[in-house]
Amino acid sequence: MSTIGSERSHTAGAGDTAHHSGGQPDIDVHDPSLSRFELVREGARRDGVEIVHYAPRFPIPGTKAERRIERTIALLFLLTGVAGLAFVVIFVAMRFAYTPGTNSAKLFTPLLGVTFGVALLTLGAGIIMWAKKLLPEEVAVEKRHLGGSPPDDKKIMGAQLGHIAEETAISRRPLLKGALLLGLAPVGVAAVVLPIAPLIKDPHGRGDPLLHTGFDPEYNNGNPVRLVREDGTGIRPDDVSAGGQMTVYPGIPHGATNFWADSPTLLIHLREADAAVARSNLARIPLNAPTPDNPDGGMWQNFIAYSKICTHLGCPASLYEQQTNRLLCPCHQSQFLITDNAKPIFGPATRRLPMLPITVDDDGFFVARSDYQVPIGPAFWERS
Amino acid sequence: MSTRSGRVPRGRARRRVGTVVRLIAALILAGGLYAAFAPGVYAEEDPQLSQAAKDGKAIFDNTCVSCHGRNAQGVTDRGPSLIGVGSASVEFQVTSGRMPLARQEAQAERKPPYWSDPEELDQNARLLGQYIQELGGGPQVPDGNLRAEGGNTLARGGELFRVNCSSCHAFSAGGGALSSGKFAPSMAAATDRQIYAAMLSGPQNMPVFGDNQLTPDEKREIITYIQNLKEDKDPGGWGLGRIGPVTEGLAIFVVGVVAVVFAALWIAGKS
Repeated sequence: MSTIGSERSHTAGAGDTAHHSGGQPDIDVHDPSLSRFELVREGARRDGVEIVHYAPRFPIPGTKAERRIERTIALLFLLTGVAGLAFVVIFVAMRFAYTPGTNSAKLFTPLLGVTFGVALLTLGAGIIMWAKKLLPEEVAVEKRHLGGSPPDDKKIMGAQLGHIAEETAISRRPLLKGALLLGLAPVGVAAVVLPIAPLIKDPHGRGDPLLHTGFDPEYNNGNPVRLVREDGTGIRPDDVSAGGQMTVYPGIPHGATNFWADSPTLLIHLREADAAVARSNLARIPLNAPTPDNPDGGMWQNFIAYSKICTHLGCPASLYEQQTNRLLCPCHQSQFLITDNAKPIFGPATRRLPMLPITVDDDGFFVARSDYQVPIGPAFWERS
Repeated sequence: MSTRSGRVPRGRARRRVGTVVRLIAALILAGGLYAAFAPGVYAEEDPQLSQAAKDGKAIFDNTCVSCHGRNAQGVTDRGPSLIGVGSASVEFQVTSGRMPLARQEAQAERKPPYWSDPEELDQNARLLGQYIQELGGGPQVPDGNLRAEGGNTLARGGELFRVNCSSCHAFSAGGGALSSGKFAPSMAAATDRQIYAAMLSGPQNMPVFGDNQLTPDEKREIITYIQNLKEDKDPGGWGLGRIGPVTEGLAIFVVGVVAVVFAALWIAGKS
């Protein structure tokens, strides 16, 4: 006892960190003569932390300097209360409704943010100030070992693991082993299927869905699909001025929804001279080229339609420059020359935009002659 | 003369009178024919133009003719023909200051207009527009209120804006880049008439949105939406050009995170 006591006093007096509880008998915590701080210090020591310096900030309590700091901290906490109260009052009393223009409703969210921010800031500042200016100064040292665990610890750990395996006795219970494997295997498959399955689009659908869009006549009882606006109304040639363009969708149920997200198409009415250039270039791409029974090729008079889905990464390429006849994709600045079969002329796209062959039906509305003849969208492994 | 036998020689005086009479007759005939086939030579100039168009022509011949040529037929490599562009195009280009062009570059940019007085600018732009209109026709901006009324105007205008305009002008009408130095401009300074005229005429590389594609009512709804968007206050107090979340994210990252880092350093230094 006495030796331990002297050791304790030695530690406190010199700030020596050489002593460690490991392997040494601890002091008797039930000793009634121990102060609370001595118990705290003993607890820290048993955890491997030595408190080497401990002294109050203000050795004489109640000085002017101490009271000043107390008042500052109190002020911060009161500010916290005021800001918090303001937050609640604003939240409850201010009726927020979006109103166009400049008005006080626009202050609702900023005011909530400011009041709550001030509350958190002053609370934090008060706590930090309390800890830094009022709590006693303390220096504590914690010992750490270098490198790996001692050989003894490794040996014990290995024995524990082996013991657990032996307790289950799985090697002499083949029924349980087999049942466990059979039970877990589907769970493992589920873990693999879950992330992969969403990558497969419409797995129970007809054929390869990547090859079809909403303009496939199959979705319209075999009849050619109309080009329609977002509200489903058909489009007449008069509706698009020369030098104009319009985003069109397949005229089938839900054609303008995300279900047919691969179908949006840009219908462009070229100026006379530009249309002549575009027509002369059609023959360069066999799929777009005029045929004996279809002298216009994929165009109809001065109208031409291309997929809006960029062939680079599938962004909507819809920035149409009507003088230069370029179609731009806003994501990575790919540019397609509309008058030359939508050839990519700038940027990362490497493939032409697919052309939607169009004509006008007996009622005077635009229809698709057929579906796209090449897959739409980003680079594709079976493209022709 | 003396060889003409068998005839009574005419008197010298008679012969002279006959020559004069034939000469006069020939002159009258020639003059009459000329007058009959070229009636406009001395007629009033441009009788088909209204008074407003004549005033517009006077302005045109002072300020526009060097690039767009006589009678707005264009000058090669300098300015295009204005036949058929309509008054909408003229009003847009002149009131937004794009015309007269400062220099040939990727595209004409908005700048202080030629006439600094707004009323004079508006009046002269309309006169010029009238002149071009009477030369070759084309789209015209209707007079009167170009805003739409009604409860769901903003919602419909917003939908039309997002379908037709936002791909180039961005969701908040802040504009965006096009190819080779061209760009879709911000609509921050655009007036109702300018937006309407731009939709009708398709200035520079903007596609044309004719009345069959966007009805006049739909155009008014779009204008109402755009102008409402511009009047709207930026909640943070500073819109950062309203280019979008990228700007705002970058700003808070650069400014906000740096401030937090320095605050942390300051607190640590005080410890």
